[in-house]
Amino acid sequence: MGGDRPDVLGGPRSASQEKSYTPFQARGLARMKEVFIGSENLLKLIGRWAKGHRVYVPVTFDIMNNEDTPDYDLVKDEVPETMKLDGAAPAHSAKPFIFYPREVVANYPSSDAEALVEAPSTIVVGPRGCDVRGLAKFDKVYWSTKHFTEEYDDPFVIEKRENTYIVSIECTAAKETCFCTMVGGKPYATEGFDLNLAPLGTGFIVTVGSDKGETLLSDSDDLLREVTSEHKSERDRNRASVTEAVDRQNAQFAVDQPYDKRDLAASEDAWAYVTQNCVGCGACNRVCPTCTCFLLVDQRAKGGYERSRNWDTCLSIGYARTGGGGNSRPALAQRLENRLRCKFEYSRDRYSLVTCTGCGRCIDACMGNIDMRESIKHVVTEKAKA
Amino acid sequence: MKNLYRPIESVIEDIKAETPNIATYRFRPKEPISFAAGQFVELTVPGVGEAPFTPSSNPNVTDTIEITIMSVGTVTEALTKMKVGDTVGLRGPYGNGYNMADFEGKEILIMGGGVGLAPLRSLILALFDDVEKYKKISIRYGARTPGDIIYKELLPEWAKMKNTEVLQTIDQPHPDWKGTVGVVTVLLDDLPLLTTVDVGKLPFNPETAVACVCGPPIMLKFVNVALLDKGFKPENIYHSMERNMSCGLGKCGHCMMGEFYICKDGPVMTAAQIAEFDDPF
Ligand SMILES: Cc1cc2nc3c(=O)[nH]c(=O)nc-3n(C[C@H](O)[C@H](O)[C@H](O)COP(=O)(O)OP(=O)(O)OC[C@H]3O[C@@H](n4cnc5c(N)ncnc54)[C@H](O)[C@@H]3O)c2cc1C
Ligand code: SF4
Ligand code: SF4
Ligand code: FES
Repeated sequence: MGGDRPDVLGGPRSASQEKSYTPFQARGLARMKEVFIGSENLLKLIGRWAKGHRVYVPVTFDIMNNEDTPDYDLVKDEVPETMKLDGAAPAHSAKPFIFYPREVVANYPSSDAEALVEAPSTIVVGPRGCDVRGLAKFDKVYWSTKHFTEEYDDPFVIEKRENTYIVSIECTAAKETCFCTMVGGKPYATEGFDLNLAPLGTGFIVTVGSDKGETLLSDSDDLLREVTSEHKSERDRNRASVTEAVDRQNAQFAVDQPYDKRDLAASEDAWAYVTQNCVGCGACNRVCPTCTCFLLVDQRAKGGYERSRNWDTCLSIGYARTGGGGNSRPALAQRLENRLRCKFEYSRDRYSLVTCTGCGRCIDACMGNIDMRESIKHVVTEKAKA
Repeated sequence: MKNLYRPIESVIEDIKAETPNIATYRFRPKEPISFAAGQFVELTVPGVGEAPFTPSSNPNVTDTIEITIMSVGTVTEALTKMKVGDTVGLRGPYGNGYNMADFEGKEILIMGGGVGLAPLRSLILALFDDVEKYKKISIRYGARTPGDIIYKELLPEWAKMKNTEVLQTIDQPHPDWKGTVGVVTVLLDDLPLLTTVDVGKLPFNPETAVACVCGPPIMLKFVNVALLDKGFKPENIYHSMERNMSCGLGKCGHCMMGEFYICKDGPVMTAAQIAEFDDPF
């Protein structure tokens, strides 16, 4: 399996693998168009968008000592002063915009599928490279005819995907928990966005990634300028320095010995060790841009019954329980193992995607301080010893 | 785009008690649901929830669907409170089903345990529709006690079908039971280890015969080992896998086993497909 190995943390990626990672279909643009927009003009542009769409931007909240981690807020009359477009990723990924934590998916006895799908035109300014990559998992699971498999299309996610504009932003700083470069990613999106913003000192380079994205610029020529080579080299310097910073902070987690994805099939003891501080709360699943799982729940509602789809967590004991009390993953360690192997192994086998995008949010969210970089290093090292 | 999550209204037309906690329901869905043997449906008890079941009726009948259901928990208990004429929901069919074209000209061993005979009944009825096509149909069924046997009136009828035999066992000796006693694997005692005998003298040629197995996980585990020991090929042993299922659509993740979604790649999986797992059942 020599050529097949660099799936897990830190391994070099072969050229053929880089190529095979194409989660998004080419969107009909021969070459990505780039323009420059000054900081003041971007505010105006966002203001214009807000007249016809729901626009979400990252803003900082002055709560606790968390003011450095922005999170999304709706732009109402004007763009909030607390908007923060540079720096590291917002607290949440783009997931909640296309996959609601709870959504009614059927009314019965009678129901009209179309009427239920709620997908207002929405512009999300702020997803990072990791977040954009995360959307590929949703496309595979919910929109799979796009990828020519036999699965069924899900109107609820698809309509939100179609009506949501992804305006990604390149990171100008990394959180301590970021490790995108260890899982084949970059601190900026290279595909899968509608528009991409590269923050510079005086403004942003705007890259058009889709026809849909182009429409967001169509009436705003007055705000745009040509991109200069100085702009581009400033962007390149930023990309290189953030990439380097992410590489540097993760050097300690790289696994030295040769390994491949099957090396995650480590012993029970190895997984039990990394699970010691896990309480099975499922916070890691909820913040993860690629955790797509849900549970259908039926309830009484006006005129009959409703069925809602709710985010679920594979860490809960009921997740795999079957009628009569069987359970294929009764131990918490088996469930954490399942979560991590799903990211690196099962999704790869199933969808040709490594579905950990290295966003680090599961590390940020974990009350047990479980750092999956350490977990992976531990199990791979133990497996190699065995 | 059709709504994948909406159940089709279905009226309960008949309820037949099989054992104290198992009954066979006949449903008439508002839109016909046609399924292949081995595929499953999601049954909704309104306001309570859904659970996956493999129909037990003949797949060639599409206007009604029968399901034999054991009461074990929330949804199945709520169903026992429902009456003829009440409405439930059905959606499906889902999953892969048996590749019956592959069974032609072969000996077919059908092993059921407990309520596990129910999903196999749709296969048995489909096989009977073309009974000439198969060399032999051997139905082997184990139940805990005589009181737990389902399809009591059907089993003797099945035994009268052409090329068909029915063997039965119960787990423990019982005053009402004159037949074989022991867990279901005793019904494989007429198949000695392949190495010890001449294949021509066996009731089956394990090298080519097909086995379809359904029952509790512990039974699948032991039957799997026994069949492999007796020379069945892993690719010819079909297990009905049970996993927690919510959507049935390959999306919710509940049924995942490694990279497999049991609701799409299964529920019928061959021993060859699941060989990579330490404890698949
Ligand atoms: C493909 C397939 C075919 C089947 N065919 C048949 C058949 O023909 N006949 C038959 O009798 N059975 C069949 N079964 C089994 C049947 O689906 C189960 O018996 C049924 O799901 C039990 O549902 P329940 O709500 O009554 O049981 P419960 O035990 O109440 O619940 C079932 C599920 O709900 C979840 N759950 C319950 N309580 C909780 C909780 N507190 N927290 C979290 N989760 C919870 C469990 O995880 C469990 O999986 C089949 C199963 C599969 C997968
Ligand atoms: S967030 Fe941490 S404690 Fe909670 S389930 Fe995930 S790993 Fe376990
Ligand atoms: S597993 Fe953790 S680091 Fe990886 S994508 Fe999910 S939340 Fe981010
Ligand atoms: S039951 Fe939902 S993915 Fe299989």
